[in-house]
Amino acid sequence: MSKVYLNGKPVDPHSVHEVHHHVSPVSLYIVILGALLVLTGLTFAVSYADLGAASLPVAMLVAFVKASLVVGYFMHLKYDDRYHLFCFLGTIIFVGIFFGFTIFDLNSRDALNDEQRTFVRVEELVNGGNLPKVGISNDPTRLAEYEAKHGGEHGGGHGEAKGDGHGEAKGEAPKAEGHGGGH
Amino acid sequence: MSNAHHHSTGEHNPHLAHHFDTMGQQAGAAKLGMWLFLATEILMFSGLFLAYFITRMFYPDMVLGAHEHLSKVAGGINTCVLLVSSFTMAMAVRAAQVGKPGDPKTGAEIKKYLIFTLLCAATFMVVKYFEYSAKFEHGMLPGKFYTAHLHGYEIDGLPHIFFGVYFLMTGLHGVHVLVGMFIMIWIYLRASRGDFSSQNYAAVENTGLYWHLVDLVWIFLFPLLYLVR
Repeated sequence: MSKVYLNGKPVDPHSVHEVHHHVSPVSLYIVILGALLVLTGLTFAVSYADLGAASLPVAMLVAFVKASLVVGYFMHLKYDDRYHLFCFLGTIIFVGIFFGFTIFDLNSRDALNDEQRTFVRVEELVNGGNLPKVGISNDPTRLAEYEAKHGGEHGGGHGEAKGDGHGEAKGEAPKAEGHGGGH
Repeated sequence: MSNAHHHSTGEHNPHLAHHFDTMGQQAGAAKLGMWLFLATEILMFSGLFLAYFITRMFYPDMVLGAHEHLSKVAGGINTCVLLVSSFTMAMAVRAAQVGKPGDPKTGAEIKKYLIFTLLCAATFMVVKYFEYSAKFEHGMLPGKFYTAHLHGYEIDGLPHIFFGVYFLMTGLHGVHVLVGMFIMIWIYLRASRGDFSSQNYAAVENTGLYWHLVDLVWIFLFPLLYLVR
């Protein structure tokens, strides 16, 4: 008779008639549900208190605790085969890499563009300057600071567009035709 | 291999596919597959979450102004509804786990909790319908469809981007809720046939995992879109 493997371990085929499982008591599920509802109330209440810059981290912390309860108890990861936890945490690590690198790039790109004069978005050509300004641009103030520090030989042009456009962008934003073929 | 198993154990579980040796092995494979699928789901949603964070990073004031137009109460009700549905789903899985094979009570218990879960899911979609209707009415729509300024709502900045992110995130999540409802109906029908018991409940459990993931996404969606300042 050939060998039978279960979760990577050789087992006796005669002994594994039953599916191995962990059954949580109903009371545990009720406690978890209660905790989740209380935490929801907490996030809700906290959103009315003005926490300023702390509001995002606090909300994320509460959401993280709630998510852990759902994953650990409702999805049984606390009692389950460790390999499933590995799959889940592995995914979270990759999400972290995805977020981390993208945010890092977006935050550091402006400085690099200033330094290397590699400004990629030629807004004026694309939309005749009518587009509400999007995302990254060579901010004229910041560029001026950079020039002052490093001695400017920059011909300029792109930097100006951002500065002029920003005030109008607010007024124009709601108009549907304002950003037709831009991006 | 399966023949050997067949002869040696005498009894054969009708739900055991021929390419597995034991029900435990079959359930383990199904569950691993489900977790890998959930991994792809998390990665898909993470793209939208990143879009949200980038929008927020670039236009903090606009996001702040636009999110005030979302109904905190509707979002809060939907959060509670989804949490309760996660509980009833976990109870449905538990009913299958402790069910005796061939006992009609097992199917009845599973079905009872599935009905509760389906009712919660339906409530969620109804609330979502009213929320969406209000947004449509006020012209708070993504991209070029944005016309809120014609309805007397002045939101500074580029609110059409925020509503693009809002509709994509809640829309994709809503589609998942709908798909979940269909899967639950399928599981309901199979439970009626008496398919599930402690000897065979991988399908119920995987449906549960999927449903909890839908809940998980909403746990992060709700504070980010509706609450955070």
